[in-house]
Amino acid sequence: MPYIKHLLQYVAMNKRYINYFTLPAFALVLAIFGSNSGAAKITVQKNENSGLYSWVAESEGFSIELVQLLPDFVRAIYMKHDFPDAEVDQIAGYCVFGTIIKNTSQQQLDYDVANWYYTDKNGNDHPVKTKTQWLDQWRKAGVTFSWTLLPDRGTFYKGDWQQGFTTVELPPGSKFSLTYKWSINGIEHTDKFEGLRCAPEQLSQQ
Amino acid sequence: MHLNNYLNSKFLCLSLAAIFSGLISLGAYAAWDVQPKLGHNLTQLSKPVPAPDFTLEDMDEEKHSFKELRGNVVLLNFWATWCPPCRREMPSMERLHQKLKDKNFTVIAVNQMEDADHVFAYTGQLEVDPTFTILFDKDSKVSNSYRVNGLPTTYLIDKQGNIRYRAIGGREFDHPEVEKLVIQLMQE
Repeated sequence: MPYIKHLLQYVAMNKRYINYFTLPAFALVLAIFGSNSGAAKITVQKNENSGLYSWVAESEGFSIELVQLLPDFVRAIYMKHDFPDAEVDQIAGYCVFGTIIKNTSQQQLDYDVANWYYTDKNGNDHPVKTKTQWLDQWRKAGVTFSWTLLPDRGTFYKGDWQQGFTTVELPPGSKFSLTYKWSINGIEHTDKFEGLRCAPEQLSQQ
Repeated sequence: MHLNNYLNSKFLCLSLAAIFSGLISLGAYAAWDVQPKLGHNLTQLSKPVPAPDFTLEDMDEEKHSFKELRGNVVLLNFWATWCPPCRREMPSMERLHQKLKDKNFTVIAVNQMEDADHVFAYTGQLEVDPTFTILFDKDSKVSNSYRVNGLPTTYLIDKQGNIRYRAIGGREFDHPEVEKLVIQLMQE
């Protein structure tokens, strides 16, 4: 991280000016920028054909795209795979995003959705319901189909990418942020997707 | 008579629901149409792993056993019709198959949990009609044995039946660098 190198050079060059006031400020800067977090480049797009929004965050070696999905679309997908009505209604009641994640680094990337969480409009954090949790529930309901959701965990090498649904337990139209984590060669990174919004119940409400 | 009317109305409702859900699916897939550009990088496994054996049926309900392919380099692809990158990479698999099919190279696409009628209708819509073997893994047991977490996932398997390369996500399989890897394995 070059900015830390420059910061330390500055401290070394200006030792005699460093006092009890500046030291906490340096500590704060290091706390903010020294951890492997933040600084994702976020792009928001509206699909003119569908009227739905998508967000792409490009972070250190990791790219994540979230695409709004209408509850009726989610309902149709699971109906098509013969899910029981109760299960169809439950997942269609979640805020579901089409999700594309990519390893944009040259190294090994690992992720685990169990470490991701979302923050609602009241500032409360909640875990993202994982594929494993959904599959456990679906198995009890007699469902064997297991392919639509983003896999919980993955080890990606150069060029690997994956797509699937992620689910957040919020009503249609809700605003929230998503904190997600990944590691590259064992070094953990964290970033936050601000300003996300669930798809509305009907497209006319967007 | 009442029963007939009831059945007719139920059939009509189900048909409308199926058409409605199909239209919504099409619309939403169109919404999810901005897909990443396909790359061509395959990851070499640090240590070759024996590819699990399996026997599955093809479109004509003929059984195919993986061990019968020993001596061939195999591109083994796990896919489904509803998976957009699977659709995008399939023409490149067909082109690679056409180029190398007479040289101890086999492409196998293992469909997940769908039936032959559905897949037959789907392949008819592709820009290139696949001529490689499509097998049906109706309960995903084979994909589980290969530890496939998401679709598409593809393995390149050597003549001894060992997995040598892996790709998660769609690829352009007829890229010269992939072809070079296949030829290298064929020459071993």
